[in-house]
Amino acid sequence: MAKTTGKLELRALTKEFGNGSEKVVAVKELSLTINPGEFVTLLGPSGCGKTTALRMVAGFETPTSGQVLLDGEDLSALTPDRRPMGMVFQSYALFPHMTVFDNVAYGLKVKKFSTAQIKKEVGEILDSMNLAHLTNRAPNQLSGGQQQRVALARAMVVRPKVLLFDEPLSNLDAKLRAQMRIEIRSIQRRLGITSIFVTHDQDEAMSLSDRIVVMRNAVVEQSGTPEEIYRRPSSVFVADFIGRSNFLSVNEVKKGGSGKVSVEASGVRLKVNAHPKALKSAHPHLLVRPESVSVKKSSASSKSRKANEGIVKNVVFYGNHVEYSIDTPNQTIAAVVSDPVYDEIVPVGAVAKIDFDESRAWLLPSDSAVIASEE
Amino acid sequence: MALKRSGTKYDIFTKIALVLVVAIVFFLIILPLLNILIYSTQPTGSAIITNAFSDEVIRQILWNTMKLGLTVAFLGTLLGFIMAYTQARVEFRGKKVLHIINLVPIISPPFAFATAVIVLFGRSGIITRGVFDWRPTLYGYTGLVLVLTLSFFPIAYMNLLGMLRSLDPALDEAGSSLGASKWRIFRTVTLPLLIPGFAGSFLLLFIESIADLANPLIIGGNYTVLASRAYMAINGDYDIPMAAGYSFLLLLPALLVFLVQRYWAQRKSVVSVTGKPSGRPTVVTSPIARFFLLSVTFLLTSLIVMVYATVVLGAFVKIIGVENSFTLEHFRYLLGGFANAAVKATTFLALIATPLAGIFGMLIAWLVIRKVRRGSEALDFLGMLGIAVPGTVIGIGYAITYNDPVKIGGVTVFPQVAGGAAIFGGAIAIVMVYIIRSSPAGQRSGISLLQQIDPSIEEASASLGASGGRTFRLVTLPLISGAFLSGLMYAFAHSMTTLSPIIFLVTPDISILTQKILAEADQGRYGNVFALCCMLIVLIMVIGGLINLLVRRFQVSTDRPLVTGR
Ligand SMILES: Nc1ncnc2c1ncn2[C@@H]1O[C@H](COP(=O)(O)OP(=O)(O)OP(=O)(O)O)[C@@H](O)[C@H]1O
Ligand SMILES: [Mg+2]
Repeated sequence: MAKTTGKLELRALTKEFGNGSEKVVAVKELSLTINPGEFVTLLGPSGCGKTTALRMVAGFETPTSGQVLLDGEDLSALTPDRRPMGMVFQSYALFPHMTVFDNVAYGLKVKKFSTAQIKKEVGEILDSMNLAHLTNRAPNQLSGGQQQRVALARAMVVRPKVLLFDEPLSNLDAKLRAQMRIEIRSIQRRLGITSIFVTHDQDEAMSLSDRIVVMRNAVVEQSGTPEEIYRRPSSVFVADFIGRSNFLSVNEVKKGGSGKVSVEASGVRLKVNAHPKALKSAHPHLLVRPESVSVKKSSASSKSRKANEGIVKNVVFYGNHVEYSIDTPNQTIAAVVSDPVYDEIVPVGAVAKIDFDESRAWLLPSDSAVIASEE
Repeated sequence: MALKRSGTKYDIFTKIALVLVVAIVFFLIILPLLNILIYSTQPTGSAIITNAFSDEVIRQILWNTMKLGLTVAFLGTLLGFIMAYTQARVEFRGKKVLHIINLVPIISPPFAFATAVIVLFGRSGIITRGVFDWRPTLYGYTGLVLVLTLSFFPIAYMNLLGMLRSLDPALDEAGSSLGASKWRIFRTVTLPLLIPGFAGSFLLLFIESIADLANPLIIGGNYTVLASRAYMAINGDYDIPMAAGYSFLLLLPALLVFLVQRYWAQRKSVVSVTGKPSGRPTVVTSPIARFFLLSVTFLLTSLIVMVYATVVLGAFVKIIGVENSFTLEHFRYLLGGFANAAVKATTFLALIATPLAGIFGMLIAWLVIRKVRRGSEALDFLGMLGIAVPGTVIGIGYAITYNDPVKIGGVTVFPQVAGGAAIFGGAIAIVMVYIIRSSPAGQRSGISLLQQIDPSIEEASASLGASGGRTFRLVTLPLISGAFLSGLMYAFAHSMTTLSPIIFLVTPDISILTQKILAEADQGRYGNVFALCCMLIVLIMVIGGLINLLVRRFQVSTDRPLVTGR
């Protein structure tokens, strides 16, 4: 059900707080086009400007420069109450003096719907979200998950063109969070509402989004589908922020065949995919996710081992997978072996031979700041 | 409540503390109240009570009292709200200064307002007559409403400002994102959420204004209220049972309203905030609203500033508005013998009472929140009686009770502490009044602080083998010392400026500053009144500052009470 309205464009949105020496640039030249019905997540570490960006879209912050356009119309002159957007807050912001019904009906009353219509609309949405039995409760008589759903119903009942979420799940426990994720996504799909979701939880971002926008220090670091972000990160920072990573230092970078690049890492020659900038970078890094590292027992002694052999420092058995950390001559490698065969786990202190899956490796330009701070 | 330990028995320290607290409360307030009840059953007393509604004079006094209380409560709450809303939601320069100016009336001496308002706006007022050639009559209802509203609105201001600031800004933003205009959000979200605050402020102001004695004496004119009538019964009719009768009539509504107010305060929990509040408070931008709010604020603030300017100037000129030449004659007269003894006695007694009141309030707070399981409500209420009961009633109760030794079956259980013949010239009774009147402030701040501190911190001390007393001294007290300090400061300022109970307890040997002010105001010697007010304010600031320094030195740094984890 492709919708035709709800196309959101952010053009070079910038927000500065304070002035003079205390000036903080919270968001710098954020440009983004979000298609109707698309679900976009803003992801990044604390303080990178996600909330500020979202609040500029909602109209709660006035951009220092730049514009927000909805279906081609510039929203700059509109106050938040004039923008056809719904917002779900981290604190839910349910009106504590109103019942669930009155909370959800609030926006419809503002829009001067008739009493009968309000009753119908509110009833329907509460029904669809399994909240019907709570209609006359006060917000403080609800559980966290229920409050969250009421907040969602309240924002959606007015049929906004855009839904904005600012870490709406961060106050819930892990299990409820996973459940609410699915719920939010299915409702959003059903209604086809363009959505921006702010979070610093990578699982949330991966599982919810059509597209993830990774922010860092007020600027967009990368924007892409969850798969692109995970497999084809544009920087060490992004790779490191999403999932776990091994960054191998490489020698002898050469152009390989069929668009690939040939590198030597840990004494082994690999043919890998590479970021366009990686070839020009002075010290590119090879990203290998721990699950792309295979681990085997080796007969070599700890003295005679080769560059791709290491001593097992730590093993943790989780049942369906094993996590290793292995000391090689160059660095410590993290490896995750799923579904391990009985009695084939390499014990601590033994020598293990590691292999990298070259089809899943990715060569990155260097990003000295992050690497330095990691160590 | 999860804040209390359950299942454990009271330890020795708790038991002793409980018995002590109850005994102190008994002698400091219950016994005087009981005596009021007993005396009010005597003929002239019971006549007042039984004829309260049939006797036209008494009915008029009752009505005057209620009318005054309701008007001041309404206007004070309204003004307090406008000031608080402006402070919280309007952006303008000089906000902080304004905040401080709004709080000053809380610790100002009685009469400062009444006398300054007479000088400024009375029949021959500097402004009324001087500027507008208008000669209004201030004495009576109008003047009382003006003066009491000015003196008490800061209570509502503080109350409502605190509530406004604790509202999650996201609530306004949620309304806004649902399409509601700012005005609509104000009506449908902000105002309803403040209802408990309005109710609480209204009731508190009502209690304060019906209990006030100082202003009705100075500016009341023929407008008699219960407090001033009870005072007249003692000082004009010399009829103690009659005074007890009027006291009873005053005590009843005061206690009733106090209880209702507490009930409201407890329902305040509607304002539950889940998660961390986000966003920033909505700022008023509409030019009309800004103009209205800022005008009211400006008017009220300039009124307060004018009053204090009058007090200070009035102290240094011959007769302000009439003969405006600089003089030190008022101070010379006061310090040349008239007020020396009073300055010394007031300061000395307030200094004795202050730490005692502070510790007493904290002790009750600790017992109420941490120790007492059943009856903590009652204990809290007992501790608060000192401000719930009008000062006039306390004073009369003390005069009845402690002008003779308290005897049960011929055995003296409490010595005579009030009146000229008592030990130390009646000073002990005054200290007792200071304590019971000021400890509730410490108790309140202690309670709110203890509610935020995780009880497991104290449990950790107990599990390490510390006794109850040791835990209180080594763990609890240092943690709540911040509240203790603010409680102390308030207690001291309050003691120094209290009048209504003291009037009944001063003796030829012990005179108190506030009572000296009354005497001078009565004689119309406003220059002396202003000079005395200035001295009182300077004393409060200097000694308050010293207490602050002293306590700081012994205080553990508890800027951030530990409330980590759950
Ligand atoms: N009102 C403000 N005044 C000054 N600085 C601000 C203000 N609001 C945000 N900032 C600053 O702007 C930067 C971005 O803040 P923002 O709230 O957008 O971060 P965030 O990405 O949402 O972080 P988090 O994940 O912790 O919520 C921060 O450095 C913050 O300190
Ligand atoms: Mg944020």
